[in-house]
Amino acid sequence: MALSYTVQAIQQLPGHEDRAWHVCWNPTKPLLASCSADKSVRVYQYNDAANFSHLTTISTGHTKTVRSLAWAPSGKTLATASFDANIGIWEQEDGDWECASLLEGHETECKSVAYSSSGTLLASCSRDKTVWIWEVHPDSDFECLSVLMEHTQDVKCVSWHPTEEILASASYDDTIKMYLDDPSDDWFCFLTLTGHTSTVWSLAWSPEKSYLASASDDKTVRIWRRVAQHKWECALVLEGNERSVYSVTWGPGKAPSSSLGWVAAVGGDGFIRVWELSENEDSSLHHNLIAQLPNAHDVHDVNSAVWCPRQGFQDLLATTGDDGTTRIWRVESKIDHV
Amino acid sequence: MAVEIFNPNPTIFTSSKPSKSLKPESIWVSDPFDIKDDADTFESDELIDQDEIFDLIRSINDPEHPNTLEELRVVSAPQITVSGNRIMVEFTPTVPHCGLSTLIGLSIRVRLLRALPSRFKVDITLKPGSHQSEIAVNRQLNDKERVAAALENPALVQTLEQTLANAMLRGQPAE
Repeated sequence: MALSYTVQAIQQLPGHEDRAWHVCWNPTKPLLASCSADKSVRVYQYNDAANFSHLTTISTGHTKTVRSLAWAPSGKTLATASFDANIGIWEQEDGDWECASLLEGHETECKSVAYSSSGTLLASCSRDKTVWIWEVHPDSDFECLSVLMEHTQDVKCVSWHPTEEILASASYDDTIKMYLDDPSDDWFCFLTLTGHTSTVWSLAWSPEKSYLASASDDKTVRIWRRVAQHKWECALVLEGNERSVYSVTWGPGKAPSSSLGWVAAVGGDGFIRVWELSENEDSSLHHNLIAQLPNAHDVHDVNSAVWCPRQGFQDLLATTGDDGTTRIWRVESKIDHV
Repeated sequence: MAVEIFNPNPTIFTSSKPSKSLKPESIWVSDPFDIKDDADTFESDELIDQDEIFDLIRSINDPEHPNTLEELRVVSAPQITVSGNRIMVEFTPTVPHCGLSTLIGLSIRVRLLRALPSRFKVDITLKPGSHQSEIAVNRQLNDKERVAAALENPALVQTLEQTLANAMLRGQPAE
């Protein structure tokens, strides 16, 4: 079957001395950060021609793997989640990245951190089964607002809705949960999405805001549609992955504006797969596999994939893998090359 | 290590002969080929079959008893499947309530991680019906993140190293 797009290798960024777990694009500056089992964070800069160069390595100070990272919406702060159970908050002081704050509290490995769209809230999650919500104050002061103990197993990923203060979490207990703040009381879980038959590793919200994608150890990617203000239902199950799917990302790509954009997924089978999604007239979802690349990181697992959020660069995809490299790809239409 | 002994009277089986891939003169442990157990020993095109995988894991020590996994029939060649770059290892705990099953499974995983080239994907599971918490143990053993975090726990790594201390013997008796 001939696919209409190809995944072009743009650049390979080696440097981590152990597996690279996660990568994150800065939302306001041409920077990309990756984190690794080698306990460091590598920061790269890129120019308009998509040439990437290594800018600096933050040796953190975490005593174990740095598993995940998140840039604040301002682009000025970086949060790291570590297996040492702590969260590091990093800011630049005269060009050097320094630890502005260390958030302690989780009892076991911290797996994921995420800033809300306003930047005033930070969420974290852990193998201790909890999701923590922190309020971001000036001078890197953080106040824990809530400790949510709704999952029955490790929580692997947290992700905020692109505009609303709705938090989603993905777990080893096979479910996805969503949380809201009750102003008169506390944060609470208002929805549990079941359907996956194994650990849910990763979550990604659609750019047009109504859909959520989830990636699972059950080798599928599920797309959940918002059917009411506080209700989502499974609208589509994307198959084709041969092993665990570790990461899913959703961006506009270079898809027509009438579509829902591009979903990319990566995992243990080493493939990068890209689907274009759109809504049919009857509101059902149309999906089309537009690109596929085997052995993206040679024989190694691919742990993370993230679309570039920057205007004009939304066909760029960054991935990290067990080989310790970060790789940059562009999804290109075959038609352009005729 | 658990204070409770899970199986005070395990059945011990005699080891089978070392597999055909070993040369007769490699009986002595001082042979460098048998001591080296990292991925360098494998040529990139060398065929790795179920006997080879069994050879790698048969001399892992049981954490509870002074016996190898082969002697206790926890692992055996017929319980290993190699399909392309995918390896599936089934292991049988000596008793269905064995609380050290996760540790045994982890020692198999670490041994293969260190000994095999990177291209192999390894799935480790309990023999169906052999354990009362089969699903939970299987899930832990095949969760890459859980395994990675466990290997950053110094106390657990120390226990693991004890089980792996003689793994390179490949079925031959310890001195």
